[in-house]
Amino acid sequence: MNHILEITDLNKTYSISKGQEQAVLKNINLQIHEGEFVAVMGASGSGKSTLLYTISGMDRMTSGEVLFDGQNISSLSEKALDQLRQNKMGFIFQQIHLLKNLSMLDNIILSEYFAAKESRDSIRLRAEELMKKTGIAALADRDITQASGGQLQRVSICRALMNQPKIILGDEPTGALNSKATADIMELLGSINESGTTILLVTHDVKVAAKTERVLLMEDGEIVGEQYLGKYHVDSDDVKVREEKLSAWLLKMGI
Amino acid sequence: MLAKILKKDFKRNKAIAIILFVFIMLSVLLASSGTTMMTQLFRSINHLFAVSSAPHYVQMHAGTVDRDAIHSFAAENSLVKSEQISEMLVIDNANIYFGDNPAADTSSVMDNGFVVQNKSFDYLLSLDNKRIEVLHGEIAVPIYYRQQHHLNLGDTIRVSAGSSDMTFTITEFVRDVQMNPSIISSKRFVVSAADHEALKSMTGEIEYMIAFQLKDLNKLNEFKTAYQSAGLPAKGPAIDYSLFQMLHALTDGVVAVIIFLVSSLLVLIAVLCLRFTILTTLEEDYKEIGVMKAFGIRQQHIRNVYLTKYIVLAGAASIFGYVVSLCIRPLFLSNMALYIGIAPQSILQSLIPILVAGLVFAFVLLCCTLVLRRFHKISAVEALRAGAMGELKLNTKRMPLYKSRVPSVNVFLALKDVVGRFKMYLLLFFIFVICFFIIIVPVNFLHTMQSPSFVSYMGVGQSDMRMDLQHSDYMQERFDEVQQYLAQDTEIVKFAPLVTSKYSVIGSEGALESIQVETGDFSIFPLKYSSGNAPINQNDMALSTLNADALAKKVGDSLVLVINGKHHEMTVSGIYQDVTNGGKTAKALLPYQPEDVLWYTLNADIRHGGDIGAKITEYTGLFPGVKVTHLEDYMHQTLGSTIKQIKMVTVLAVIIAVFISILITSLFLKLLTAKDYSGIAIMRSLGIAVAHIRKQYVIRILAVLAGGILVGTLMAHTFGQSLVGMLMSSMGASNIQFVTNPWVSYFLYPLALGLVVTLTTLVGTLSMKKYSMTRMITE
Repeated sequence: MNHILEITDLNKTYSISKGQEQAVLKNINLQIHEGEFVAVMGASGSGKSTLLYTISGMDRMTSGEVLFDGQNISSLSEKALDQLRQNKMGFIFQQIHLLKNLSMLDNIILSEYFAAKESRDSIRLRAEELMKKTGIAALADRDITQASGGQLQRVSICRALMNQPKIILGDEPTGALNSKATADIMELLGSINESGTTILLVTHDVKVAAKTERVLLMEDGEIVGEQYLGKYHVDSDDVKVREEKLSAWLLKMGI
Repeated sequence: MLAKILKKDFKRNKAIAIILFVFIMLSVLLASSGTTMMTQLFRSINHLFAVSSAPHYVQMHAGTVDRDAIHSFAAENSLVKSEQISEMLVIDNANIYFGDNPAADTSSVMDNGFVVQNKSFDYLLSLDNKRIEVLHGEIAVPIYYRQQHHLNLGDTIRVSAGSSDMTFTITEFVRDVQMNPSIISSKRFVVSAADHEALKSMTGEIEYMIAFQLKDLNKLNEFKTAYQSAGLPAKGPAIDYSLFQMLHALTDGVVAVIIFLVSSLLVLIAVLCLRFTILTTLEEDYKEIGVMKAFGIRQQHIRNVYLTKYIVLAGAASIFGYVVSLCIRPLFLSNMALYIGIAPQSILQSLIPILVAGLVFAFVLLCCTLVLRRFHKISAVEALRAGAMGELKLNTKRMPLYKSRVPSVNVFLALKDVVGRFKMYLLLFFIFVICFFIIIVPVNFLHTMQSPSFVSYMGVGQSDMRMDLQHSDYMQERFDEVQQYLAQDTEIVKFAPLVTSKYSVIGSEGALESIQVETGDFSIFPLKYSSGNAPINQNDMALSTLNADALAKKVGDSLVLVINGKHHEMTVSGIYQDVTNGGKTAKALLPYQPEDVLWYTLNADIRHGGDIGAKITEYTGLFPGVKVTHLEDYMHQTLGSTIKQIKMVTVLAVIIAVFISILITSLFLKLLTAKDYSGIAIMRSLGIAVAHIRKQYVIRILAVLAGGILVGTLMAHTFGQSLVGMLMSSMGASNIQFVTNPWVSYFLYPLALGLVVTLTTLVGTLSMKKYSMTRMITE
């Protein structure tokens, strides 16, 4: 099976004050194969989000190697990293992070307009199609103050999907949503993953993690364990069973 | 927490605090320098007038003088305190050689009078304001020539006529209460009585200066009427005390007014910046303020924390500005120090600039207090819930990106932002309007003054060559000779002889006043009239603006001239602008009386491609005593000093405007990028390159600049033109129309400002590359 992401001895340290450094990521080794749906769990400050931002190139690593789709991220220039994010990655944040002065539809198409790989009409049509699929077609012209958290997160997902990414990186994408919206978003992400897109997300929520294929546990900047749950099939799998299995493992791991 | 907020604020906005400091400091610096200059100017003029014992009324007269008649008039007239008749030997420029220069300055438009020191009043002073005393072989030279010919003490001046020759050593430079300003086209040299006699026998024409000092200066008009109706010598211009004062104040006065205006603009800018900074700070600290309010800290207390910061900032800037103004004072006063001299300091004079600095400080604080009233609007609950100030006003529907046909996404997004948040960009827009205004007004004014058509403000039509013949016994013949020669000269396309004579007119209060009237054919070199036309009929008369004001006449009004005791009713056919001869001139088609002639003028145009310089040399050689000048030289020499001052102001204005543009653009960007922090991070996370984002900022700022330039230009041509008109009205040209050089005004300067602003934006957004996206996203 092809690995979309191969991480070897990844380290990330921040300097706190003169001469003092804090290691946030310590010797991370990880492989994620194409089409996998992985969740990273851990307490606050364990380094989950930093791992995500380092993989995307938004944050520079201190040492180690990250191979994404065959490209060594650590050796890429700022410009090449921009292009990589623009063409092969999709991002979903907990705090939505949509541009305030653009409508929903404009937020979705913005990056593709910059990339200009196809005509503007075709970009718009694709965006409208995605909005329809995610149930937010009616929101196209609205601004971000005129939608619920769940709707905004759907807009974020549409935006992340616009460049038909190889991977979607989600930093607690359901962290600010209620349980109904969380379930809806996870269903949406599940169907995206079904269509072959790799997803790596960070979460605190066992219910969210239980719907992923594999769960990694981080503690103090290290991956201290991993639990394979297997693909989640809405129709055939009992989510409760998966949640219990995961909870039991987490308990065993001291969480 | 309060101290923490202040500390955080200073750390966060170090650059902004420095920019605000600089603006307040510059405002205070210029305001106190401007007031120092003004107070010093008035005091120095008064001091000069007192030390030199300035005359109140001077009548120039070319011709013989009946001294007894003047003495008995003065003795009988109760208004006269003292009277003095002095001889001025007018020597042609062609006979005077300055320093080592082997050639005489024949192109000069100045009349050079050689005098001895006066005995009763109207003393000619040295540069340390002492009465000049020269010995045989020594000479005191007007300051104007020191500047013009770079003369030093010990240099020589040679007067040569035919085979006779006299050489003088310069021992002093003359500060002349009557003729100091370069705009006055006569200058006085001081020689010893013996040398004066020797020169008299050698060359030149004698003119008399009949000067009076009055017991009560307020009765000057009454005295003028009395003198003019007494039939006393009056072949020449009459000048009075107020005109001396005005001409002295002009050059430095204009500069002081401009400095003061610039300083007012800076205060305005400083206040606008403060407002913007305070509002942005409050926006950023909204949550913290909410927390403090929730804790029960009194609103007044929180507000005072912010106010303290601005009190410290404005106080320090004001003190620093004042101290710097003391240091650079000599720079602003150098011209005045040379021409007028510096009067001893008074306590009041030292207090006024301090007072002005205090006023600027108080004004800045008042504005801060007013802006900080926004605290009332902050609700603790709202602040804690929203975390940002006020409701987000979005206009996403106005310009949707998906409907845009603008090829560049960057251009579209930048314009959308400017349109959507124009209220926020108003500060920058306003600054750009001001900056372009303060560049373009002096640039256009300078260009107007330097343009050949400025001659129309000097009461003469545009011509290639001008010849001036002062009245003397043989000048009428010389005038005829020149006319004959001009008529035969094939290189002369056209010429117009004009004669200026003295007439009496019944003034606005019914008293007789003297008036200089130019007669001749005014259609040959037409003049631009601000209203009405040139005189066409025998009873038509055109008046200069200042004369029309003084006589309270407008076009179509009638006025009565007294010629040989007979009243002639004239109609005002037009009003024109004239900054020469004190601004009071007139034009008519009257037949002139040779005995009343003051001077003759001949204007001529040379055929296309002809060598004007060669022609001037030819006529100067052929007609000694006739002052032949290229019209542009004439203008340059009479307006040279003013042009020089305006050039200085222009350079200063450009530097200030560029400086302001850089500072405010930097300050604005600093605050704007802080505001847009998350937006920039979002775009970066989407893989939109920093270069694209920076481009958007450049376009935003340039779009605001374009608007600013447009409005600035419109304002310069309306309000700016009127402003210059106001300044120039005291000189006799109130209706100035800017002559612009479109290449410079509408291309070069906007381009230069655009480049400066682009560069500033690029430098200001350079730090975006170092922005930590993770921090921005997670914060």
